Amino acid sequence: MTAITLKYSRLALLLTFGLTLLSSFAVFSVGQTQVSPALARGVVRLRVRVKLDDSNKRAVGLARKRFFLIKGSLEENKDLVQSIEQRPLVSRDCYYRGIGASEPFISWLKQNDCESVYCREIETKNVEGPGAIPEFQQAIAAGEKEFGSRELARKWLAVNLRDDLRSGFYQRQQLDLHSLLKQAEERTGRKVISVMTDRNGTAYFTDIEPGVYVISNLIPAEVGERATLWNCEVNVNAGDLASEKPFLISNPANKEKNVKCVAVEKPLPACPPSKASR
Amino acid sequence: MKHEARFVLGILAALLVLVQGFGNDALGQKRKPVRPRGGITQRSIDYSRFSHSTKQHQESCKSCHSAPTPNWQKVRAFPDVADYPDHDSCVRCHRPQFFKGAQPPICSVCHTKVSPRHDARYLFPNPRRPEQFKIEFPHDKHQDVIASWRIKSRLPGSFGSSVVKSAHAVTEDKSYNNCTICHGPATKAVAPPAGGWMDSFVPPVDAFKSAPEKHDACFNCHWKTEQPVRDNCAGCHKLAAVRYATVTTPVRISLKFSHEGGGEKKNHIAECTTCHINITKAASLRGLRPDVPITGCTECHNKEGLRQDLSKELAALDQNRTFACVYCHTSNVGKLDPPASHYLVAERPAIKPRGQER
Repeated sequence: MTAITLKYSRLALLLTFGLTLLSSFAVFSVGQTQVSPALARGVVRLRVRVKLDDSNKRAVGLARKRFFLIKGSLEENKDLVQSIEQRPLVSRDCYYRGIGASEPFISWLKQNDCESVYCREIETKNVEGPGAIPEFQQAIAAGEKEFGSRELARKWLAVNLRDDLRSGFYQRQQLDLHSLLKQAEERTGRKVISVMTDRNGTAYFTDIEPGVYVISNLIPAEVGERATLWNCEVNVNAGDLASEKPFLISNPANKEKNVKCVAVEKPLPACPPSKASR
Repeated sequence: MKHEARFVLGILAALLVLVQGFGNDALGQKRKPVRPRGGITQRSIDYSRFSHSTKQHQESCKSCHSAPTPNWQKVRAFPDVADYPDHDSCVRCHRPQFFKGAQPPICSVCHTKVSPRHDARYLFPNPRRPEQFKIEFPHDKHQDVIASWRIKSRLPGSFGSSVVKSAHAVTEDKSYNNCTICHGPATKAVAPPAGGWMDSFVPPVDAFKSAPEKHDACFNCHWKTEQPVRDNCAGCHKLAAVRYATVTTPVRISLKFSHEGGGEKKNHIAECTTCHINITKAASLRGLRPDVPITGCTECHNKEGLRQDLSKELAALDQNRTFACVYCHTSNVGKLDPPASHYLVAERPAIKPRGQER
């Protein structure tokens, strides 16, 4: 009887020990997955500040510009950078002159530094009276006929504008962008992410896998009378937080400290003769 | 003893297999779809419930819907799809159901009263019915389209720079289209959550931003040439896997934040992307979260010599582990352990989570 009891006690002891071992293994294996993956990712706080020319005392944030984050170093992306740099640039003014837009139309875009009619509201003064823009007047007349309301025709004016006037410039840029993005994604095998700067020229790339990247605007931005292109190498570390110091990029005129990367600038290309002047 | 050891090892091996199985389940808990035994079974169809997911209902949208519907001028201030499809859209396939009995159930999909003498219909779309479609909206593309193009040097005759100096104050003299063309201050109160507002804190109406509810926000550009146009419904409306109820109460971690707040100077009125840092990379509404980093708040609310709202509450929590942070949060959120980012920004060592103090 005592022998049997002893045998079962040993068995129970062994089992208890084994179960304890197993349960700790189970907790470990499940618990391991609960390590926050966010800690293994990084953030780039991008700051873009430019100085337009010597007449401007201070550098200013470059607002509403899209920047792209491409996996790999500048060396690894050598061919892509070359494609970006060699792509011919058509300036905003040249594009609209090229499609025969009227001077009042181009001037309306320039007033608020817009690239398309979607950039700002088309006001009554833009369609009536001496300041009326011919393209807008034509569109509003078509809209009034279609909707039976002049006010609605003004609010929905863009739907009756010629395609090339309305979104041709944007579409043209998109073609260039898609081609460059395709090249970047084919080389890296990763999706290129992009963000747009806010009014202070700040943008955040969040949830980034640690490693070396190139930050580029792919299509040169028109800053003053110059085409400004950034291709900057940045190292993203795990656990980088948005509260850390920004990655400041700038243009040659800005001599601020802490600038991590300077743009390459070229004068804007001269426009070919416009349709209207031919 | 050898037998005992073998026996124990056997049991342990079996348990190991079980534990591994449990572990894998816990990592990726997925419920396997329940398939009806014996393949597809014929069941009675409820014709009072119309579904776009029915295969036969997935022809092109314009085969049933008109855009605009003939009634738009009576019910809308803009051309819109404002009514149900004509009878022909149903009858061409459902003739037997259409003429079945005195009150065919199929009529109740559109009509408030099933009777040949009444043609009154529910509102279109019917707000009481669960949604069948999700909206596809690429924020990134729209932000690109409305973005300004370039900044100009301050030469004589030029219009100055399109940028401002302060993070919050809106001092631009130019008017740009931005997020507010779709997301203005809310004008109607949001519905309280089931069970009422936490801590009885009722957020002010303008604490939230509005979101487009009608087609006019889209049709003003996407009417006839800019795709997706009015009859390309699928360009924006994607069939949802399951029907869902529209969210009427926004979920917000910092419920006490108001978009129109920020004291007398209304310092909270800022460009949206200043705080919503991920919005410009969003190519879809799927998985979109209006995530705002704590740094978006502490720029003013935890600045030396200005305010120490965050640090004060973290200090209070150090003293009293039952303290709930209520400056930004209601107590359901405020009594949770603060995230690491809060301690990092406040430059304080993180304290151990509640329950692990020893």
